Amino acid sequence: MLEYYFPNEAAEPLLWHPVLFAYTLLVSGADLLILAALAYLAGSLRKAIPLMTMLGIAFFAVVLAGPLADLRSPQRAHLIFANPQIVPTAAHPGISLTAFQTIAWLIALILSVLFALLTFSYHSHQASLSSTGFKRSFYRLFSLGVTTAEKYSVVEKVAKVVAVLMLPFLVLWGIYPASLFLLQTWNPVWRSWALLPVTYFADTFVVATALFMLVYFLWRYRAWEREVVVPVLKIHAAGSISVAALTGLQMAVWWFWSPSTAEMVSPLVPLMYAVIALLMLSFFLSLVAIRYHAVILAVSLVAMAGTFVNKWNITINSQLISKTGLAFLEAELKGAWLLETISPIALGVAVFLVLSMLFPLEVMESGK
Amino acid sequence: MLIDVDKCYGCMACVVACAAETNVPLGSFRTWIEHLVKPDGTRIFVPKQCNHCDDPPCVPPCPTGATYRTADGLVLVNDELCIGCGACVKACPYGARYMNPVKGVADKCTFCDHRLAAGLLPACVEVCPTGARIFGPLHEDNELSRTVRGRPVQVLKPHTGANPQIYYLSLPDEVNR
Repeated sequence: MLEYYFPNEAAEPLLWHPVLFAYTLLVSGADLLILAALAYLAGSLRKAIPLMTMLGIAFFAVVLAGPLADLRSPQRAHLIFANPQIVPTAAHPGISLTAFQTIAWLIALILSVLFALLTFSYHSHQASLSSTGFKRSFYRLFSLGVTTAEKYSVVEKVAKVVAVLMLPFLVLWGIYPASLFLLQTWNPVWRSWALLPVTYFADTFVVATALFMLVYFLWRYRAWEREVVVPVLKIHAAGSISVAALTGLQMAVWWFWSPSTAEMVSPLVPLMYAVIALLMLSFFLSLVAIRYHAVILAVSLVAMAGTFVNKWNITINSQLISKTGLAFLEAELKGAWLLETISPIALGVAVFLVLSMLFPLEVMESGK
Repeated sequence: MLIDVDKCYGCMACVVACAAETNVPLGSFRTWIEHLVKPDGTRIFVPKQCNHCDDPPCVPPCPTGATYRTADGLVLVNDELCIGCGACVKACPYGARYMNPVKGVADKCTFCDHRLAAGLLPACVEVCPTGARIFGPLHEDNELSRTVRGRPVQVLKPHTGANPQIYYLSLPDEVNR
């Protein structure tokens, strides 16, 4: 490859720091809310919905901590809400995906919390009956006055409407980093990765289910319930094979239809092979785990390894390819980058732990 | 602006004048000169900078509207609105933007708008010893508009659809990246 790049690229080859990698992981984890909403609407996986909802809300609530940490002037971050670039004018033609998604985040978060409150309302009432003191007042407050099964059946209908409303926003969030890369940057790799949004969408199910299985494993250890684990494994298997296939398909498209692009992306190819291998392995392990549940931890860990490699390759390594498409720059990770990268995820875990102490992570089919 | 590549001999006066006039941080560039040696040994120097595009790809991604286009066709950054997200830097196909580490905002060529307001030419135009850079309003009758209308001119990366407003004379294909 001819070494040819712009001087401003050499000044800061890695403009978006590794915290962006953590951010895209958080987005995918938050998309457990998509699964929770779909499961609720379909009337399936009822036992898993509380855990999915709590994990999803915990990650979605802190999802903006990632980009906030990467801003050079974070003290002005509030301007995204105060002055969002979402209406085109002569001075500001076009719409900023970042501004649009930030507004969408606020709406989706409110809807998600409302969804959680509605679905937990009757369970909170039941919890209040067996509690005393502060806990009793707390659960009474969150029962929202839903004290009978009849009232709860009405609330369930409202919750279904809320689930329908939050789905489009959450789906947009699932593909947001990919659509930003593809549509509003001139990075030659992102620009030519036409399958990136659909790959990201499939990947949200891989990360979301892998995260669910990991937490479920840690929480229930070996007391798994087949009706919870098997559907999640099937979704995970479908997601894993889809991401592996889409990654392979994109490589094939480059090779057969754009040899110059194939040459340009050659520094990324080894990790793309690794992604395909790990997700194929996760797919086969998922099939095994449907019969032998003890394997679910391996399914989760292998899938997470595949996703980590994939997102690192897409968000970090791809940035190092020059806008000329003729150089692969080197970047030195400076300072406490690892701590900075882990912090938003740790914050999500902390929020989840607090929520898990306050709300039940599992309810019975009968509503108990 | 029009840049006549045949007249540029790579003296870097424009690069230095720009850095001095606009306090460009070390390592970053509002304008730079690319150097090409052809197989026959011919040396070609191509000055580059922000193209102040008619359809600037850097403006829509800005989440706060800090990057904007003026009625005169300049693409500028309002430092007080810029949050330093870098979206515009990623969106520029020409590598003309950078993050200013001192101010914490995106930065780029302004065509020396402070000098234009005082009736002066941009620093890079004024300092060029060979007159390789010609500046002026395209809609008026002047040397720039006559040349753009009368001679075959090129723009950088026309496939982006950005409609760049920096025109080149004698631009070799090899540097149209």
